[in-house]
Amino acid sequence: MPLLQHLCEMLYRSSFGTMLRESNNAFSVIESVHVLSITLLVGTIAVLDLRILGLILRPVTVSSLARSVLPLSWSGFAVSVTSGFLLFWAEAAKLYANPSFRAKLALLALAGINALVFHTTVFRRAQEWETFQLCPWRARVTAVASLTLWSGVIIAGRAIAYF
Amino acid sequence: MSLHGWFIALARSPLGHAMQTSRWGFAVVEMVHLLGLAILGGSVLIVDLRLLGVILKDESAVAIGRGVSRLLIGSLIVMVLSGIALLSEEAGKCYYSPAFRCKMALLAAAVVFYFTLHRQALLRAQSEKPTLWPRIAAAVSLLLWLGVGVAGRAIGLL
Repeated sequence: MPLLQHLCEMLYRSSFGTMLRESNNAFSVIESVHVLSITLLVGTIAVLDLRILGLILRPVTVSSLARSVLPLSWSGFAVSVTSGFLLFWAEAAKLYANPSFRAKLALLALAGINALVFHTTVFRRAQEWETFQLCPWRARVTAVASLTLWSGVIIAGRAIAYF
Repeated sequence: MSLHGWFIALARSPLGHAMQTSRWGFAVVEMVHLLGLAILGGSVLIVDLRLLGVILKDESAVAIGRGVSRLLIGSLIVMVLSGIALLSEEAGKCYYSPAFRCKMALLAAAVVFYFTLHRQALLRAQSEKPTLWPRIAAAVSLLLWLGVGVAGRAIGLL
């Protein structure tokens, strides 16, 4: 058995994993936290992306909005990852082979890479371009990619239960 | 027609039939509902955290409110429409569900609050000092919307 699959089996069979999986309330509560955290994580990122696309909050500069929004997104990410990891722990063996779960992780990685590229390149010079009517095309492309990838993460996440 | 009658009619409508018989229908509609949730949640957070004076303090509260209002209302409409479709799949069961009734009550309260007292609070926040009322309004708004979300989760679990 591949190492990764073996690790998943171990998590699944652990007493903590079993307790979570068989609990009456714990799993449901953690899952609810996970679902509701998409507002804090994806919702705030979406607001920033839509601003970059010039569709909302025109009076606010991109860097000013980013400064306010990104701490919220990071908090949302912390909550999502923590709750997500616990959910994963409970169902690890089953999730290993789940194509939707794998897709979700891949999309998550891509969303992270997209954000990293944006922040280390085009966003560095935000002060230069944010006074223009239209944000530079690279910024707009990252915004569209971000919206698409995060939507994909949510969709793949919901589809996990169907495989 | 009575309220209960309306629920039954929804379940028996073409939408209801489609949702009940389709293999992927419920899943797809639920995904739309979740995407709407992300956007609605994001808009609510931005405007209410501004009212609380936590973010975007240098920006006008009214400008923030106006800047996300179309997004908020648009995503709310998406959630209501997808919500009706989800409801049509098991309308009878939802009618008797305490979680569903709670959610609808909180939703009504949140929406009414948004268009009335919340709007007033945004105008008040325009003036110089951060006062108490805008912050209370923001807290009430956040709690009401959070309540809608939690009750919504409870529908499937109780």
